[in-house]
Amino acid sequence: MTLFAVTRLELRRLFVRPLGWVIAALALAELGWRFALLLQIFLLNQVKLAALPDGPGYTDLVAVRMDSSFITGSPLPFGVIELALLLVPLLTMSTLASERSAGTLPLLFASGLSATRILLGKYLAVLIWLTLWLLLALAVPVSLAHGATLDWGKLAAATLGTFLALAVLGAIGVACSAFASHPAVAAVAALMISLALYCINLGAQLAGINNGFINWLAMSTHQENLLRGLVSSADVAWFVLAIVVALMLGTQRLAADKERG
Amino acid sequence: MNAPKPTSPPVLELEQVTRRRAGRPAVSDLTLSLQAGQILGLLGVNGAGKSTTLSMIAGALRPDQGFIRLQGEDFSERPELAREVIGWLPEGAPLWPELTVREHLDAHGRLRGLSGARLNQARDAVIGRLELNDLARRLAGVLSQGQRQRLGLACALLHRPALLVLDEPANALDPVQVVALRGLLRELANGGTAVILSTHQLSEVTAVCDRVAILHQGTLRHDAPLPADQHAALEKIFFDIAMARQAA
Repeated sequence: MTLFAVTRLELRRLFVRPLGWVIAALALAELGWRFALLLQIFLLNQVKLAALPDGPGYTDLVAVRMDSSFITGSPLPFGVIELALLLVPLLTMSTLASERSAGTLPLLFASGLSATRILLGKYLAVLIWLTLWLLLALAVPVSLAHGATLDWGKLAAATLGTFLALAVLGAIGVACSAFASHPAVAAVAALMISLALYCINLGAQLAGINNGFINWLAMSTHQENLLRGLVSSADVAWFVLAIVVALMLGTQRLAADKERG
Repeated sequence: MNAPKPTSPPVLELEQVTRRRAGRPAVSDLTLSLQAGQILGLLGVNGAGKSTTLSMIAGALRPDQGFIRLQGEDFSERPELAREVIGWLPEGAPLWPELTVREHLDAHGRLRGLSGARLNQARDAVIGRLELNDLARRLAGVLSQGQRQRLGLACALLHRPALLVLDEPANALDPVQVVALRGLLRELANGGTAVILSTHQLSEVTAVCDRVAILHQGTLRHDAPLPADQHAALEKIFFDIAMARQAA
C-alpha cells in the first residue's frame, strides 16, 4: 500500500536528519533530570506520605508527573507535554513544507496518491516517532517498578492522555507544515497554535471559571482528567476530534496545492 | 524510426487540454497523441507551457478542461495509472537531500508499488544501466547537477514505465553522458516505451526524436514528424514560430 510507502519515506527522513536525534536525546536527558528531582522529592516525603491513609504514592508523585507540570504547577524542568509543545513543531515542520520548497511534492502527487493518503502517510510516520519517544520517556519511571508499587491503571490512563496529546500536537504540526512554504514558518505557527490550544482557558481559570466552552476547548482540561486516572469517552473524543480537524485542514491545503500546481 | 501500431490505443492522448496558471492560460486547447515506441520532442521558448503540459501528463497537475487518456483510459478517473504507466523526470530533478541514491530508488520503487525482490532487481538494474554504482551510498544533497539528473532519470525508469516524461533531461550532463542518454532513449523506444522529451536544445530533438511538437504561448503550433533534412529545417520552423509571435 503506497500510503505506507510515504510513511516509510518520511520515517527514513526523520531518522537520518540530525534534528530528530538531537531533539530526542536532549529531551530524554532533560526528562532524566526531571525524574531524578521527582524521585528526590518523593524520597524526602516518603515517611510523611506513608502516614496518610490515602496519600499519594510513587505513581502520583513520580511516574505521572513525568508527563506534565501543568497538573502539579511545580517549578520543575519540563515534563513530556511541555517538551512536546516546543519540540513537536520542530519535528513536524519539514514534513510537507520542505517537500514544497525542495520541489519534491509533485513527485508524490505523480505517484497517483491522493492528498489524504500523502498527509496520512506523513502523519503516521510522525506518530510512530512520537510513540517511540513516549515509550522511552515512560521507561524511566517504569524502570523502578520492581522496587516501588505502581498503580498500573492510573499510569496507563496518564500514558493514554499523553499519547493523545502528542497525537494532537503531531497533527497540528503536520497541518501547519502543509500550509507553510518554509519549515520555520510551519514550526512557529504550530508552536503558537499548540500553546493556544493547550492553555486557552488560563484566563478563565484565573477568574475561577471551571466550565463552559473555553474550558472545553482547551487541551489541558481533557488531559488533566486522564493524568488523574479518569478515562472518559468525552475526553478521548475531544482528542480524536482535534486530530481529525487538523488533518482535514492539512489535506484540504494539500489538495489545493495539486489543483493550483 | 518506429512505426506506430495502429491497432493498439495510443499510450497517451491529450484532448483539448487547458490549464490556467496565475490567471492566464498556461496551456490552451492542447490535443496530442503518442504511440508506443515513439519519441516526441516538445519544444518551446521559456513560458511556452512545456513544463505545465508535462506536469499534467505526469499526474502532478490537473487540467482545468479536456481529457488525458493513458493507454485508452481516462486519467482523471484512474489517477493511480500514473503510478503504473508513467515515469517522470521533472525539471531540475528534485530530490530528498537527506536520502542516499539507493534510498531514493527504494522510495520511488515503493511509491510505484514495487517491493521485495522485484524492487531489488529493478533498483540494481537501473543503478547498473545509469552507472550509479559508485554513487549508491552517497547522499543526494551532495550530488552534482549532472549526477542528480542521472538519479532522477533512474527513478523515472525504475518501474519500467510505458511512458517516459522527461523535462530537460540533458541539463548539466557532460557530452559523453548526453550521447549515452540518447542511446538509452533510443533503446527504450525500440523496446516499446513512448517518450516525451521537453528541451530547449534543438540538437537534442534532431538527434533522438521521431516527431516534434512546438508549443508557443500555451498553444500547439506545430506537430509533425521530423523533416528529412532535420536540424536546419527544424531550426527554421522553430524560429519562424517563436520570432513571428514575439514580433506580433
